[in-house]
Amino acid sequence: MQIFFNVFQTILDAGAIVLLPIIITVIGLIFKVKIAKAFRSGLTIGIGFAGINLVIGLLKSNLGPAAQAMVENFGIKLDILDVGWGAIAAVTWSSPIIGILIFCILATNIIMLVLKATDTLDVDIWNYHHMAIVGIMVYFVTKSIPLGIAATVIMAIITFKLSDWTAPLVEEYFGIPGVSLPTMSALSSIIIAAPLNWLLDKIPGINKIDFKIKDAKKYLGFFGEPMMMGLILGGIIGALAKYPVSQILSLGVNMAAVMILIPKMTSLFMEGLMPISEAAKKFTQEKFKGRKFLIGLDAAVVVGNPDVITTALIVIPLTIFMAALLPGNRVLPFADLAVVTFRVALVVAITRGNLFKNVIMGLVCTGAILLAGTATAPVLTALATSVGLDIAADGSLISSFAATSLTVSYLVFKAFTSNLIISIPILLVVIAGTWVVMSKLSKKRAEILAVREQ
Amino acid sequence: MKRILVACGNGIATSTVVAMKIKEKCEDNGIDVSVTQCKLLEVESKADQFDLLVTTGKFTGGDVTIPVVGAISLLTGVGEESTLDEILSHLK
Repeated sequence: MQIFFNVFQTILDAGAIVLLPIIITVIGLIFKVKIAKAFRSGLTIGIGFAGINLVIGLLKSNLGPAAQAMVENFGIKLDILDVGWGAIAAVTWSSPIIGILIFCILATNIIMLVLKATDTLDVDIWNYHHMAIVGIMVYFVTKSIPLGIAATVIMAIITFKLSDWTAPLVEEYFGIPGVSLPTMSALSSIIIAAPLNWLLDKIPGINKIDFKIKDAKKYLGFFGEPMMMGLILGGIIGALAKYPVSQILSLGVNMAAVMILIPKMTSLFMEGLMPISEAAKKFTQEKFKGRKFLIGLDAAVVVGNPDVITTALIVIPLTIFMAALLPGNRVLPFADLAVVTFRVALVVAITRGNLFKNVIMGLVCTGAILLAGTATAPVLTALATSVGLDIAADGSLISSFAATSLTVSYLVFKAFTSNLIISIPILLVVIAGTWVVMSKLSKKRAEILAVREQ
Repeated sequence: MKRILVACGNGIATSTVVAMKIKEKCEDNGIDVSVTQCKLLEVESKADQFDLLVTTGKFTGGDVTIPVVGAISLLTGVGEESTLDEILSHLK
């Protein structure tokens, strides 16, 4: 027993970089991936973690002091660095309880499918990290594994239901039938966008406004190219930090490097997870042969829509301005500006491409992300440090546009870390209430469609 | 050697899956390819350096002169083989 404990302790002491390959190999074996392949997956993910750690180090050591100087010079208090969702995903996959959470999410999906409580078959294991991180943060704060699991299961239920409900938008607006998008980074915006869209349509005058920008790409296109955005933002922040020209230039190039390198490192994670994801897909699709599903895919499949791109290109620079002006915000948007397309994709779908409403609603969504990101940065930073991401040595904070910065994730995290006797019933009532209303709406929609077909 | 550009929303997740499947298929058929991943937003500035563009999901966003294949089937698993064959046909 003592030996077992010692081995376990040694592995834990070695940190995420050793823990990750082991966890992933074990998960792989459980899904019947061959051991050599499972181990290679695990090691690839460990390498991804090491790579992300390096790039975050580069980001922190360059951007951190510049952000501090900017605070001193101009009082623009943006001292929480947006390190991007990739780094947060790395933290998520390094948690000691990630294995349990992955199986709980998959089990929740299978049980809901059996009970016909959802149509979404979600084997996009990669994006499980959006649901898992909430449980991991709840576990980190409360030290209770059952609460952590409960939070993740609630996230899973919300994710699958929002996927079901938004599937008609995906089919009608993006033209992809039979698919739903259980990617919380995209889904989360809908809980702001749906009521806001309804409200804007009720306001006389406002509900008539629409405009088109034909050449958004020509003039704003560089906001869509990560290297250009890194270079320009780095340069601007360097200038605001009152750096000498040589250092401004070097900050610009270093930030361009960060923007390009983070996705490269993150893709190692994806590469490592793919065999497991494929095995899970085979496993579940065999289980539910003959049943008609919505296949859950990464929201990446819809963000190529031109209206989504145009909206994002306008929302990105406005979000940077808003970050400086929004009372209470301390997040300096950076790495995740590259994925604003995901945050606005369903906004665009629900307005049917009305650019005026898209920009307004898109900004409300990114504003909510900034505020939740500010509020949960201390917990996220402590969590990231605890798994060995090399960041908080100088006491500064990190955040992103993912994890509990997302509106849905933030609300679930809050419910599980407040006074549970009050907050959990409220959360459950809201979910149940929404479910009832949405079922009625879906039924009505089905009836209208049936009449139209006759 | 043929050069293939695989584009998805963030240049990370779904494009990695598609890129790996294309690489495997090409290896099996003895075709020498180099596969590069990118974000859909970058496609227009990069496409002219490649022989084929493969996208996950619908790409309606821009002017590219090279052939385009939509590869959502490689993610859903429905119609995977015919999409892979279509990709191969552009490489021969």
